[in-house]
Amino acid sequence: MNAAIIVPDGGTQRAGQTLRIDDAHIYLDRLIRELHALGSEKKQPLVSVLEYVSFHIRMTREEIATLKPGGASAFSSTADELEEIVNETARAANEIMGAAECVEAVAMGTDPKTREALQAAATRIYEASAFQDITGQRITKVVRALQHIESRVDALTRACGDAIAASNGGTAPSRDEALLNGPQLARNAATQSEIDSLFDVVDPTS
Amino acid sequence: MSLNKNMRVMIVDDYNTMLRILRNLLRQLDFNNVEEATDGEEALAILKRNPADLIISDWNMTPMTGLDLLRHVRADAQLRRTPFIMVTAESKTENVIAAKQAGVSNYIVKPFNAETLRAKIGSVFGGQ
Repeated sequence: MNAAIIVPDGGTQRAGQTLRIDDAHIYLDRLIRELHALGSEKKQPLVSVLEYVSFHIRMTREEIATLKPGGASAFSSTADELEEIVNETARAANEIMGAAECVEAVAMGTDPKTREALQAAATRIYEASAFQDITGQRITKVVRALQHIESRVDALTRACGDAIAASNGGTAPSRDEALLNGPQLARNAATQSEIDSLFDVVDPTS
Repeated sequence: MSLNKNMRVMIVDDYNTMLRILRNLLRQLDFNNVEEATDGEEALAILKRNPADLIISDWNMTPMTGLDLLRHVRADAQLRRTPFIMVTAESKTENVIAAKQAGVSNYIVKPFNAETLRAKIGSVFGGQ
């Protein structure tokens, strides 16, 4: 059973329910104001403690705001990059194995000693190509870990409220830094012919 | 008695690279009757239509893992005696124990070489 407590605006807050840091801050500030209004000398130590807590909530909120400097897409973009590594290594491994298969086919027309040597080399290539499977599985684990972290950071930013949205842009990259986006993911990459076409029509003076 | 190289071999892995590696290594060992599947579910559907003489399967796949495929195979009256070799990067003791408890015939840890594959196939067919 979740216990309910009465919050200052008359609503209720259930145990286990996420309390937005903005809301907590509002309640705390209101409590400090009300304590000030009491006019008792004994209140001062309590006010000092609450002001200290209030200050740290502000600091924490600002620190959380910097957790996602690249915006909401930073984690998923990193995961995409890692998945692209898996795809790229798979393509490379298949190319290498295709070449080894060609070598084996050619070996069939050679003398026994040469054939044996070429087949042994092809075997080593097949065995070594297993790196793609192993690295792929490792990267997949990293991607899952990133997705888990992303969900936790999302929960924190939701708890921090609108202050995060205002600060989420971080420091804007310089014009040159903003150009450093390569290598592109396959689905976003332009082909060489598209680049050639673009190159022909771009006016360098404009 | 020599090993029947015309036996039907089912290879199961969610990485196409690994399927190609296995197919090539099996071809080098003169096993040319090879069927592929990319997870346990697909493999089981094929096996129920057309049983294999040997199953070589990865463990970590979705939606059906190699371990679940193994359990289904061992629970199926038609397939239960099919030799089953697990080829996987899962190399913890508890993995091997679980696979053994499920009835695996042999276990190969990735990365592996052609000689290991040859030896394990020979082993599950009684050292042939």
